[in-house]
Amino acid sequence: MLRWLPLTALVACSGDETDSIVPIERVWQSHGEIAPNISSRMGDVIPSATDEQRATFERGLAVATRRFSLEDGLGPGFNVTFCAACHEKPDFGGSAGLYRNFAIGAEQTDDGVVFPGDSAGNESGVVRVYYYGHDYPARPPVATDVEIIAQRNAIPFFGVGLLAELTEEEILSRADEFDADGDGISGRPNYEEGFVGRFGLKAQTVSIEGFIRGPLSNHLGVTTDPLCHELRAALPVDSSSADDEPCADSSAALNLDWMRPGVLPYGQAAAQSGPITDADDAPDPELSVSDLFDLVSYAMLLGAPAVEDISENQSAKNGQLLFDDMGCGDCHTPRLDSPRGPLPIYSDLLLHDMGEELDDGLRIAGMQNALGSEFRTQPLWGLAAVGPYLHDGRAHTIYEAIDMHGGEAQAGADAFAALSSWERDDVAEFLMSLGGRDQLSPGLVPPDDPLRAVGEYGGPVRALSADEEERFLAGRELFDFEFGFSDGAGGPRFNGDSCRACHFEPVIGGSGPRGVNVMRHGITSGDAFTSPNVGTILHKQTRDLTDVVRAQDAADIFEHRQTPALFGLGLIDDLDEAVITASADPDDTESPDGITGRVSWTDGGQVGRFGWKAQVPSLTEFVRDAVSAEFGMTLDYEEGLTFGAIQDNDDVPDPEFAPEDAELLADFMRMLGPPPRTSTDAAAEAAGEDVFVAVGCDGCHTPSLEGPEGPVELYSDLLLHEVLPEGESGIEEASAGEREFRTAPLWGLAVTGPYLHDGSADTIVQAIEGHAGEATGVVEAYQALSEADRAALNAFLESL
Amino acid sequence: MKKTQWLWCTLSTLVACSGDKGGDSGSSGEGEIVWSEAFDATEAGALSGIWGSGPDDVFAVGGDAERGTVTHYDGAGWTTGEIPGASLLVWVYGFGPGEVYTVGVDGSAARYDGSSWTPVETGTDHDLWGIFGFSSDEMWVVGGDPDDGNDCGDASQKGQKTCIWRWDGQSELVPVAIGAGENDRGTTSMFKVWGIDGKLFSVGQTGLVLEWDGSSWSRVSMGAEANDDFVSLWGTSADNMVMVGGRGSARIATYDGAAWTTTAPAGVAGINGVHMVEPDQAIVGGLYGWVAAYQPSTGELTDEGFAGSIDVHAVWGDGEGKTYAVGGHFLEPYHGSASVRTVEG
Repeated sequence: MLRWLPLTALVACSGDETDSIVPIERVWQSHGEIAPNISSRMGDVIPSATDEQRATFERGLAVATRRFSLEDGLGPGFNVTFCAACHEKPDFGGSAGLYRNFAIGAEQTDDGVVFPGDSAGNESGVVRVYYYGHDYPARPPVATDVEIIAQRNAIPFFGVGLLAELTEEEILSRADEFDADGDGISGRPNYEEGFVGRFGLKAQTVSIEGFIRGPLSNHLGVTTDPLCHELRAALPVDSSSADDEPCADSSAALNLDWMRPGVLPYGQAAAQSGPITDADDAPDPELSVSDLFDLVSYAMLLGAPAVEDISENQSAKNGQLLFDDMGCGDCHTPRLDSPRGPLPIYSDLLLHDMGEELDDGLRIAGMQNALGSEFRTQPLWGLAAVGPYLHDGRAHTIYEAIDMHGGEAQAGADAFAALSSWERDDVAEFLMSLGGRDQLSPGLVPPDDPLRAVGEYGGPVRALSADEEERFLAGRELFDFEFGFSDGAGGPRFNGDSCRACHFEPVIGGSGPRGVNVMRHGITSGDAFTSPNVGTILHKQTRDLTDVVRAQDAADIFEHRQTPALFGLGLIDDLDEAVITASADPDDTESPDGITGRVSWTDGGQVGRFGWKAQVPSLTEFVRDAVSAEFGMTLDYEEGLTFGAIQDNDDVPDPEFAPEDAELLADFMRMLGPPPRTSTDAAAEAAGEDVFVAVGCDGCHTPSLEGPEGPVELYSDLLLHEVLPEGESGIEEASAGEREFRTAPLWGLAVTGPYLHDGSADTIVQAIEGHAGEATGVVEAYQALSEADRAALNAFLESL
Repeated sequence: MKKTQWLWCTLSTLVACSGDKGGDSGSSGEGEIVWSEAFDATEAGALSGIWGSGPDDVFAVGGDAERGTVTHYDGAGWTTGEIPGASLLVWVYGFGPGEVYTVGVDGSAARYDGSSWTPVETGTDHDLWGIFGFSSDEMWVVGGDPDDGNDCGDASQKGQKTCIWRWDGQSELVPVAIGAGENDRGTTSMFKVWGIDGKLFSVGQTGLVLEWDGSSWSRVSMGAEANDDFVSLWGTSADNMVMVGGRGSARIATYDGAAWTTTAPAGVAGINGVHMVEPDQAIVGGLYGWVAAYQPSTGELTDEGFAGSIDVHAVWGDGEGKTYAVGGHFLEPYHGSASVRTVEG
């Protein structure tokens, strides 16, 4: 399979020494000793952690993976709903695929001053792609004056606590700003608030607390207060300073004897005084002090990636020699001396000119003294499992990343290009040995992740034969696979680079939090709705990494689309069209009750059954639609099928997605089991089911539809109903009107929030009360219920 | 502020732009530089501005979330008081011992007549960050809301975020229209205004600098390095001024009478305060209480260590050997610090 080629090439090198042995003219020597007890599986706690620190680590992990709701203070402008959304690969604390890229926008004045562009009230330059509130549209606009755009791919946190412990002198010892030694390599420190920078792509940050508080504000819209003195002192890396505010509730006497003003144990006082308030209604701070402490501690306690012993790996040894010969180590310094001993970081943490092609133009104050073309030497430990590479993820493979080095690294890139293919493989093999290889996955599902049982979320719909199981697992792997630009993803726009990118709650195949909402948009004029030139999807990402996706000027309506779960889709796919059409009552004449129900007829004359507007008729079409609309990839033309683009504007030959892969994805979803029913209080759930019927929920949320193998208990009639308030505008799609939506299946409700088509409801109660239009009577009946009946209804719905 | 936190005359290794001074004290050509506590700022809260009519008549202003304070030095001692109804006070400027003005957040302002302070209704609730005038009946006040960016122009300037007012010290502030093209970077706050010998500049957010030509304010080109806030400025003549700013990294600009030149000295944190008595020496102070002497002619920064450990927000010298640096934390519990630089021996 073409998509596996780069990785296959790498892996092949490690085990096949005979193909890659070259004469070793010099004796190979390791790059040196490594400090003890610093390395762990990526995502795990550092081995040296105390029991107390391990407990803090676990609490911090819970904060990092906590999905923030609107009630918690998410937004109003945001990009993601939890920290680990962008730090997920190969495990929490790591990096992310292209689909998590974010953009920084800037403007330039006539006299050359570059300053951050505003985005939904955020002045950091970070472009926010989602907004829940009244001050901006659901997709906040990016001003036309914001002409400098640079994307950022998430960088991993593994080992950052160890970097925090490095002395400034250790970093400064390699600085050679004016290339005094004449080796063509300069390297200068960046500074923040007078301290030597070490974190961020531009080494623009010195404080892990600041490096966390900033993104919490910029990407989640979650406010925090700076940690106070005693808490900073209690962090795994003591980050206190004489400048800190003492904790208001602390009775502990400050021991300041060791302090000199401004001179700190680990040079970390400069926690940014980022925003402590925002524009939503949630009380500030939206993350408690104790949660922030745990989160910062968690980051500091993430172990360093484990560098392999390559003494028996001939290919890697040769690669290391080539790495040294090409001068890679002049910036990617193999070891930095820390208080614990040598760190195998493969970075000098200094800024280097990386050339015009990588110049991001962001000469903004937030990057401190770094120029647009200057980047911190990225640490290479853990490289194998944290791709894509370079600051914006433009490099899908290690090979591409090296080839794209420019500026003062151009000579190294040229030397790499001049190597034979097997020498290049040896270099890649060496780089792969710097940690993470055992956690490498084409997506996020860990290697050898077992098949889940029937009846579990993510398990198959029934017991599978051996062949079916193999196909199911292969389909899951493909569902998880992250496609790169070289595969054709982004043509030129896209939302996700894998199916799993959006469908992962609570497990792969599930729903998605608000941070992966699809944005729909349109143009309204009087009563007429017009689709923009690019269609109603306003994508989040573009393969042009120096730009962002902007809405057509005339667009005036924007709607979130929450990612629905895919569990049990095969059962819906199997339903006969007549089963769906039988319930239709478009004029409310069959059973005059105020509830209509209209079949969504698709362009191909089929009954629509998938999507918020029931705009897609089958799983096969659903896959084609997602591959094209979400990945930006092309497929083969197939007679009788109406979804899926067959050509796009990138330079990858069409079709980019193989027909057999499309069928494999569809088969995986066909075999994906429905959400399992659960029960915690059978009596309450039974009572709730009675309430469900009594208030009329079942008028649209039909408990079951008859499938070929028996009833399918999805709690939907799969018909269109008007559920937006009278007069409200929305997006037209297929045959569904602006106010019409397919009755959403309720199975799996408890674990697939947020709710409603736009994800505006945090809770089931909010979702019920968010219904309008022809559901108004039902909502009124619900609101008239006793507390006990409401609780019973909630228990019933959660049991689904 | 605990006195145990003070470590007088410490020279930091943080900024290596000065020579090796060694020891615990600095020196100038004339003697040993000593920074010491000017007064205990516990009662005053966070301090933000300082000015005096002379060595024995100095005012430091500040406060906390609930009040605005003025601490006065009368030659014998420092006395702190509150101005009724005033929020935290940010800047102070005057025209003699009997005519001093202060402005602050939420539109606070007050006038001192030599014996008492009288609050003045300004007619705005914008934060007022700076005040200056060549004469008391023709003052300028600048400010704005860095986060909110609410309009602050006159009726003809809807959408103006650049806040400059004229003030006679008694009536309400009069907003001044700024040409739409002058604010080319979305600046929502001007931090200070200052001038000498007819030259008048206002400095603000994102490096915006405006110059008054006698009839209007127009933008001044400061160069590509001027991509961060400018906070304050001072000078000794119309062709010798120094402007300071920056947040994570310092910005220093010098004016030779014709043009400004901006630099971003490596390894130096943001600078908030500047004062000049001698033409070729500006005393500056910034984050973490760091203080230094800056030589405009050479661009050399001579590290003088830390005046306490709290961010310096303003510097003022009395012209007779004492230079004060005041600062504070503008978050609960609003700690402040006040220190004084002397040259001994």
